Amino acid sequence: MFSIHSTEQLLKAIALASAVLSVLVCLWYIVRRPHLNRVTKSMLLLGLGAFPLIVSLTGNIASFEYTLSRPFCGSCHVMGPYLRDAEDPKSNSLAAMHSRNHKFGETSCYTCHADYQMFGAITTKQNGMKHLFKYLTEYASTGPDGEGGPTIHLYKPFQSGACMQCHSATAKKWVETHGDSAEAIRSGEMNCIDCHNEVHPLALSRRPKLTKGGVQ
Amino acid sequence: MAKKMVLFSVIGTIVAMIFMASSILFPHPLLLVLAMSIGQGIAIFALALYLLAVALDLQSSGGVYIPAEESPAIEEPPPAEGTGPPAT
Repeated sequence: MFSIHSTEQLLKAIALASAVLSVLVCLWYIVRRPHLNRVTKSMLLLGLGAFPLIVSLTGNIASFEYTLSRPFCGSCHVMGPYLRDAEDPKSNSLAAMHSRNHKFGETSCYTCHADYQMFGAITTKQNGMKHLFKYLTEYASTGPDGEGGPTIHLYKPFQSGACMQCHSATAKKWVETHGDSAEAIRSGEMNCIDCHNEVHPLALSRRPKLTKGGVQ
Repeated sequence: MAKKMVLFSVIGTIVAMIFMASSILFPHPLLLVLAMSIGQGIAIFALALYLLAVALDLQSSGGVYIPAEESPAIEEPPPAEGTGPPAT
């Protein structure tokens, strides 16, 4: 049975209910073909204007919320290895450890890979459109994990700022641990993942003996 | 003419609603993008077409109100007592 446990589910329920009401009004008009009097016009204004507007607003917000989730990122088959590792409770990769964090684990892909600056959400969504285009044009007919497709890489180098959203680069213990590198990391000369590089160990680019035509 | 336009806008709205509802039920990236672009585009176009049809309808009737009695499909309740013309 359909149950509501979150705001996203509530918005989805409202959107679906509004869509059903809109379609019912439309079907009523098609079947009855009433004269265009005041009542008909008002009904159609609801069915063609108000209800679709509610569907659009609530549906967009609910969909946007869903696009932040890990299952959404993993819904393209080329992301399979990344998703499997992130969801593996025994894995010690950075992706898996962060995905186990109960604060943001369900949105771990977005939390680490979204641009964290102002308008970061917009630029991240623009990149998402680029992902989709590349998926359709370059990866659609590749193997189960994207074998045979081009190597997946980031559009720009990973910025340590994404890590520093949570990990303070000024905490005493961190400064002691990172010694001479601390200033270089803060200024961006060095990246966190230069040393902490066990991020996505199952990524195809990290697998041995991979050729353009597939796995040997 | 106006009725045809309304019919097209109604059909367009049904298509748009199917797009949007399916993207909510099955949130695959491609379906989401289609719903948010094509689905919403069709819905906006359908609404604009409907508003144009209403405007044309009003223009053709010279802004005269068409009473509901002319509609074979919908019946309005009789006017309440005391609202009719005064007795002579």
